[in-house]
Formats: sequence, structure tokens, C-alpha cells
Amino acid sequence: MGPSILDVLTEYWPLFLKGALGTLKYAAIAVAGGTLLGTLVALMRLSGNRILSTIATVYADVLRGTPLLVQMYIAYFFLPLVIPALNNVEKEVTVLIALALNSGAYVSEIIRGGINSVDAGQNEAARSLGLSATHTMTKIILPQALKNILPSLANEYISMIKETSMAGTFMLYELMYTRTILANKYLSWQPLFIIAGIYLIMTLVLTNLVKLLEKRFSVSD
Amino acid sequence: MTDKRNALIRTVDLKKNFNDLEVLKGISETVYQGEVVCIIGPSGGGKSTFLRCLNMLEEPTSGEVYFDDEKLDPKSTDIDRHRQKIGMVFQQFNVFPHLTVLQNITLAPTLEKKIPEEEAKQTAMKLLKQVGLEDKANEYPRKLSGGQKQRLAIVRAMAMEPEVMLFDEPTSALDPEMVKGVLEVIKDLAESGMTCVIVTHEMGFAKEVADRIIFIDEGVVAEEGNPEELFNHPKNPRTAEFLSQVL
Ligand SMILES: Nc1ncnc2c1ncn2[C@@H]1O[C@H](COP(=O)(O)OP(=O)(O)OP(=O)(O)O)[C@@H](O)[C@H]1O
Ligand SMILES: [Mg+2]
Repeated sequence: MGPSILDVLTEYWPLFLKGALGTLKYAAIAVAGGTLLGTLVALMRLSGNRILSTIATVYADVLRGTPLLVQMYIAYFFLPLVIPALNNVEKEVTVLIALALNSGAYVSEIIRGGINSVDAGQNEAARSLGLSATHTMTKIILPQALKNILPSLANEYISMIKETSMAGTFMLYELMYTRTILANKYLSWQPLFIIAGIYLIMTLVLTNLVKLLEKRFSVSD
Repeated sequence: MTDKRNALIRTVDLKKNFNDLEVLKGISETVYQGEVVCIIGPSGGGKSTFLRCLNMLEEPTSGEVYFDDEKLDPKSTDIDRHRQKIGMVFQQFNVFPHLTVLQNITLAPTLEKKIPEEEAKQTAMKLLKQVGLEDKANEYPRKLSGGQKQRLAIVRAMAMEPEVMLFDEPTSALDPEMVKGVLEVIKDLAESGMTCVIVTHEMGFAKEVADRIIFIDEGVVAEEGNPEELFNHPKNPRTAEFLSQVL
């Protein structure tokens, strides 16, 4: 069986800590990029412009309908072929692009849902006052949609923490990558339980934080 | 006498379909400056749709709408500018819940008419005073009753200094005890010379404030006339039938 889980944790905790921080960082970058992208895609879908909305729909459907791991492989091997500039940057950039593109598809649905949840009368009242479409969106619709969007975005970040475990496949230093490192030291099973435990703690803590914030939000309503 | 007055809104053979459903089947009407017009009629007859065509919340299927003798064209008219001249009050109030009472009123004037913040606030406070809401200025709408919300919606529209006010069943969503206060505000407005087009089921109110009643039934103007005439001596059997149900 080899050394116990506790032995492994005591000896190698800095590796796990570095991995966990890597996970939080990559998930944050992916969701931040995904939020920018997702907002754009959601607005394209709601724009009423046939072409823009078709592009946005296809994008969201393709990225949500194919496995993230496949998307990462395509980004890793294919993107640098068509975008030569990517050859000059760290390989991790292509993987992060894949994560952000994937997240953007889910975030666009979150934002679209949040916008659609705002009563249609709000839009009509704003437009009938003579507010422009842009002002109506930025001053009336989005501020109200945000209340529904923020908790879902937080949940997207929580899922992304788990999704980034695939980035270790591409040598990105996140939590799952510590398994690869320690496997070289003939530790096959102990790191897995430690890793699972850390993921669980991170997601549980964040999930409860979101619940707390949601409660705050609904009180102020 | 009509030729002497200044036509503010004019529709010519206005038609509106929703897919296969013909909702407006050709309405030609004129609203004159300073006139108070009440629109009555059975549910589903097209009253709201007619009102919404006037400020282009709905795009007519055919026919024309003129405002100040200018023909509205969904493609070339500056829709926002047009709507700034037309206040609209909805059955469901549609106040902005994330803004304070004061911000509800100052938002559009400051954003779209570039009125300085301070000036907009002063105007808003004056308007709030007129409808007895000055002590609510810094509250959020969730603290207001239905009647107070509707009065806020009215002054929010007034703050844009529109040339005409459209009301779509402004009291239908209110508890009975709130109706009177809101109708009084509208009445004051009407008496101050504001041009008003009011869709209402409050026949007593219509009789009192209207210069003219339009009875819309199944997408057409089935009858119109001054309140006295229309309520007491309806010419169209459909009008008589409708009135017998609501009076
Ligand atoms: N956006 C829409 N899409 C499809 N049908 C609609 C739409 N708006 C209205 N209609 C239909 O058009 C008809 C007329 O509606 P409208 O709201 O103008 O009637 P109304 O006279 O205001 O009735 P009420 O007194 O109930 O408010 C109804 O049959 C309604 O279902
Ligand atoms: Mg209606």
C-alpha cells in the first residue's frame, strides 16, 4: 500500500497548496474571460439581428454540446496552426482560451436567462419614456438582471473549479497536476484522496458562501 | 369646428395584425391639442394595441400615424425623440424597482434630455408634491402602495414634459380604495390642458373628464361622440349592449 494519506499530505502539502491555488486562478481567469465573452454572446442573441443571433446560438450550442476535453485538445493542437502568434506564447494560454470559450457559452445562457427574467413591462416603460435601447439595457434591464445573474455566475465558477482538473493533462499546474508529479514518486492512490478532499472543501465553502449572499440579496428585495 | 383645432395625433386607416389575427381593422382618428379622449370597449377589442401604435411600441401592419403632422416611419423617424413627446402610463405601473422614487423620475430627463441633475431633481420634487408623494422621494418603490406607484408612474412620464399622455387602464390593477386618488391626478392633468388619451373601464370617470368617447369593438371604431350623447343615446346596438354590461 505504501505510505498513508496523512504521511503524503505532511510531506508534500506545499505541492497541493500550489495546485489548489493554480486551480482557483485558472478557474477565475476562465470565468472572467467567459463572462466578457458570454455577455457579448448574450447581447448578440438578444440583438434581434438575424446573423448575429445565429452566430451566437451556434457558438453556444457547439461549445455546450461537445466535451470540454475535446475542445482543449483542439485549442492545444489546432489553434496554434491557424493563429501563428499562439506559438510564441506559453502553451497554457491555448488551454485557458479553451476554458474561457467554454465558460462563455454557459455564461451567455446565464445572462440571457437573467435578462429575460426581467419583466417585459420594464423595457416598455423605459422605451416609452424615450430612453434609448442602450440606456434601457444598461440602466434598467441589466441592473435588475444582475440579481439573478450573480449567483449563477458564482455557481459557474464553482463548476469551473472542477472542470479545470482537465488542464493538468496539458501540464498546467493546477490541483490535478500534483497527481502527475507524485505518480513519478510511486504514490498512486494517496494523492487522489487528498485532491478529492481539497476539491470538496473548495466547492463546499464556495457553495455555502453563495447561499449566504443569495439570502442577503433576497432580504434587500 | 374641428378644422380650427390643431391636430396632434392622426391615424389613417391604421391596421395591425398579429400573425393571422386582425386586431386593428382600419382606424382613422384624430386627437386634437388639449383634447381629452377616452377609449372604451370590450376586452380584446384592440384598445391597448391602438394606444401602443401611437408611440410605436407596436409597429402598424399598414396605415399611417401622424404626430404634429409628421408621418411616423419606423425606419426613418427618431423613435426615441418621438416617444419623449408622448407619456405613457401602464396598467401594471412598471415603475423601476431598483431606483428610488426620485431616480425613477430624473433618469430619463437627465439621460435623454441632458437636463442637469439638480434641475431635474427640483422638477421631480415639484411633481411629487403635486401628487402627495414628496415624503417618499428617497424610498424604493417596494415601499409604495399600488396607488402611489401609479401616481409615481404618472409624474415620471410628466417629467419628460410630453405633448400628450396615453393611459392604458391606469386603475385596473388597483385596489378599489386606491382608484379615486389616481383618477384625481389624471383629472387634474386633463383639466390643466394636457392632451390625454385614456383607455378606461371607469365609465363614470370617462363621462366626467372626456371631451369625446371612442368605442372600439373588434378592431374598429364602432361609435364615437361626446360623453352625453354616447352614454345616454348610443346609436350602435353594440355600444348599447356594451354599456348595459358595464354601467
Ligand atoms: N403581442 C401580441 N401578440 C399576439 N396577440 C396579441 C398581442 N397583443 C395583443 N394581442 C391580441 O390582440 C387582441 C387585442 O388586444 P388588446 O390588448 O389591444 O385588446 P384590449 O382592447 O386592450 O383588451 P383589454 O380590455 O382586455 O385590455 C387580443 O385578442 C390579444 O390577444
Ligand atoms: Mg388593454
